[in-house]
Amino acid sequence: MSMEQERGIENSIIECTGVCKSFETPEGEHQVIKDFNLQAKENEFLVLFGPGQCGKTTMINLIAGFEKVSGGSLKFMGKEIAKPDPSRGVVFQSTALFPWMTTMGNVEYGLKMAGVKKQERQKRAQNYINLVGLQGFEKSYPVQLSGGMRQRVGIARAYCNEPKVMLMDEPFGALDAQTRYLMQEELQRIWEAEKRTVIFVTNNIEEALYLADRILVLTNCPSTVKKEYIIDLPRPRNLVSPEFLALRKEITSIMDSTL
Amino acid sequence: MMKKSVLKGRASDKTINVCCACAAIGLFLILWYWGTAATKLGMMIPGPLEVLGAIGRGLFGKVGRHSIMAHVGYSMMRVMIGFAVGSIAGVALGLLMGWYGIAEAVFNPLFRIIRPIPPIAWIPISIIWFGLGEDAKIFLIFLAAFSNTTLNSMAGAKSVDPEVINAAKMLGANERQIFTTIVLPASVPSIFAGLQVAISSSWATVLAAEMVRSSEGLGWMIVAGMNNNDMIQILSGIVMIGIVGFILAIIMRKAEEVLCRWNKSGE
Amino acid sequence: MSEKAKVKVRNLTKKFGDLLVLDDMSFDVEDGDLLCVVGPTGCGKTTFLNSLTKIYDITAGEILLNDEKVDSRKQNIAYIFQGDSTMPWLTVEENVRFGLDIKKVPEARKKEQVEKYLEIVGLTNYRKYYPKQLSASMLQRVSIARAFATEPELLLMDEPYGQLDIELRFKLEDELVKLWKLTKTTVLFITHNIEEAVYLGNKIMILTNKPTTVKKTIVNDLPRPRDIAAPEFVELRNQVTELIKWW
Repeated sequence: MSMEQERGIENSIIECTGVCKSFETPEGEHQVIKDFNLQAKENEFLVLFGPGQCGKTTMINLIAGFEKVSGGSLKFMGKEIAKPDPSRGVVFQSTALFPWMTTMGNVEYGLKMAGVKKQERQKRAQNYINLVGLQGFEKSYPVQLSGGMRQRVGIARAYCNEPKVMLMDEPFGALDAQTRYLMQEELQRIWEAEKRTVIFVTNNIEEALYLADRILVLTNCPSTVKKEYIIDLPRPRNLVSPEFLALRKEITSIMDSTL
Repeated sequence: MMKKSVLKGRASDKTINVCCACAAIGLFLILWYWGTAATKLGMMIPGPLEVLGAIGRGLFGKVGRHSIMAHVGYSMMRVMIGFAVGSIAGVALGLLMGWYGIAEAVFNPLFRIIRPIPPIAWIPISIIWFGLGEDAKIFLIFLAAFSNTTLNSMAGAKSVDPEVINAAKMLGANERQIFTTIVLPASVPSIFAGLQVAISSSWATVLAAEMVRSSEGLGWMIVAGMNNNDMIQILSGIVMIGIVGFILAIIMRKAEEVLCRWNKSGE
Repeated sequence: MSEKAKVKVRNLTKKFGDLLVLDDMSFDVEDGDLLCVVGPTGCGKTTFLNSLTKIYDITAGEILLNDEKVDSRKQNIAYIFQGDSTMPWLTVEENVRFGLDIKKVPEARKKEQVEKYLEIVGLTNYRKYYPKQLSASMLQRVSIARAFATEPELLLMDEPYGQLDIELRFKLEDELVKLWKLTKTTVLFITHNIEEAVYLGNKIMILTNKPTTVKKTIVNDLPRPRDIAAPEFVELRNQVTELIKWW
C-alpha cells in the first residue's frame, strides 16, 4: 500500500494555487508571499519550515481566514476560504487563551458559541482536556498554568470543535528547549490518538523533522516553496539517529540565510 | 525576582508601609500644630487640635441642622447616585466607542471638547436645566463619573489582544458574541481603573455640587463656613472629605482585587 | 575541589522561608573554563544565578572569586541575559563603551577596546545605528561585545540565544567560542538546550530538580569545531540527556 493510501483518502483538504499576499506599508507595497502552491491531504502532518519571521505566519493567517489573499486561490474542501471557522482550528504561539476563563471555559467556548447545551458540551470538552493530559486542571486560570500547560489548553480548545484541519503557528516557540521536547512528544501522541490534517509552522529543524510527514522548506521574503521533503522515518523519531541528523544537515544547508 | 525588604528584619513589607504612612501623617500633624501654635499662621488658620476637636463634637452632635455623620450620609447619597448613573453610562458608551469605529467617530470629538470643562463651570447650566434641587447636584457628580469611565472603558475595548479576538472568531463567535463574551470581560481591568478614578473624582466634586443651594452635606459645611468666616468648620469639612474619599478608594481597590483575580500573575 | 580554582562555590544553600531551593551546592570553575550549566525545566536556575550575582542573599555557604567573596561592585563581573539588554537610547558604539564607562577605564584604552570588539563581532559598520534598527541576533552581539570589552574576571550568560532560530544560534555560538579562545575569559553559560551545552562547553555541569544540587560535572574534550552529527557528539549528548530527562 502506498503512503498516500495508508494515510486515508487522498483528498486535498487545503489547496493553495499561486497565492500572493502583500501589505501596505509607509514605504510602499511589501510582498510577503509570492506564488505559493500547497496541497494538504487528509490526516497529513505538514510542516512549513523556513527562516525568520516572514511569510509563515501570514500563510497560517490566510488559511485560517484572518486575512484575505491578494492574488491566487485558496480553497478548503473545494471552496474558497472567506472567513474564520471552527473547522479550521488554530493554535497560536502566544496561546491567545481567554484569561478570565478557566481551562474548561476556554475549551468549551467553541461549543458554547455553537449553542451546544451545557451538559453535552462539558462532557465533550472534558474528553479533550483528558486527551491533552490536563485532568485536574479544569478549574485553573491560565495565569496559574505553566507555558506548556497553557499551550495544551490551546490545543484542546481548537480540537474540541472537531476541526478538519489544525493550523499551528510556532506553538512551542516561546517554550524552553526541554519543555519543547516534551510538547513535541505530547503533540505526536495526541495527533496519533485523534488524527487530523495539521499544518504546522516552525523555524526549528529538529521540531520539523520530529513531527512532519512532509516538510515544505520556504524561502525568505517574499515567501514561496523552495523544496519539499517527504519524511519517511518511523515514529516516534530519534533525534540523534544517523538518518535524522543527515536530513537535518541537508535541510539546514539549503535554507535561506537571514544574516 | 523578589524585591528586597525596605529594612532587614522580621517586620513584613506591609507593616513597614503602614508604619511609614502613620509616621508621615503624624509628622504632618505635628508641623501643622507647630505652625499654628508658634507662628503668625495661627491667626489665619486653626490648629489640628481645634479642627479635630470640632469634628469629634460634631460627628454625632450638630453642625447646622445635622450631625457630621448625617452630612456625610447626604453627600454620600448624592455621590453614589451620580457615580452609579455616570459609570453605567460611561462604561456603556466607552465600550461601544472602543469597539465600533463609527461610534468613536461620532462621539469622540464631542467628548474631547466637553471633558476639560471643570464641574464648577457646569453649575449655571446645571441650575438652568435642573433647577435648584437634588437633580442639579447629582448631574455634576454624574459628569465627573461619566467622563472618567468613558475614556478608560474605550481604551479597554481598544486594547483587547487582536489574537484573542481572532481566536474567538476561529471558534465560531459572531460579532455580537465577541462583544459580550470577549470585549466586555477583557476590558474589566481598564473599566476598574476608570471606576477608581471616577469614584475619587465624583467624591471630590461633592463640593461643587453642594454649592448649588443646599442645607446639608460636607460641601454645604464648607460653603456655610465660608459664608460665616468659620475656618474651623471649613477645615472640618475638608478633613472629612479627605478621610471619606480615602476610605472609598480603599474599598474600590479591594473590589478590584476580588473581581480581577485572573489578571494577577503568579499565585 | 582544587585550591587554585578561579571561582569556588562551597555549600551554596538558598531558602525562601521554609522552601529549600538550592541545596548545599559545591563546585569549582577553573580559570578559562567555558562551563555550561544545564538542568531540567524548573530547576532553580534563576535562583542559582541570582545567588551567584548576590541579587539574592544566600542562606548559607560562600562564593569566592579569586579567593575573595564575590562582589560585583569591586570585582569585574559581566552578565549577558536572555533577551535584549541593550540601551535603546545609545548607539551600538555607545552601548559597547558603556561597560567601560562604568568601570572608569582610561579614554585611550576605551577606544581601543571598543574598536577591537566591534570588529570581532562584525558590527564595525553598524556603530552609529540604534538598537531599534538592528535584528535580534545583532542585538545579542552588541551585548556580547559590551561584556567582553570590559575583559571581565567572570562572564555569566543566561540563555542568551534561547529565542533565536537555529542558524543564528549556531553563528553566535561559534562567535562566542572564538571570543572565548581569544580572550581566555572564564565563562559560566546557563542553558536548557542540551545540544548547545555540548557544543559550547569544555565542562558541563548538570543540576537536579528542586531542591537543586549538582548532579554531575562532565569534562567535554571533543575537538573543535564540533560536529553535531559526529558519533562522539551524539553519544555525549545522549549521556547528558539521560542525566536530565524529566519528561
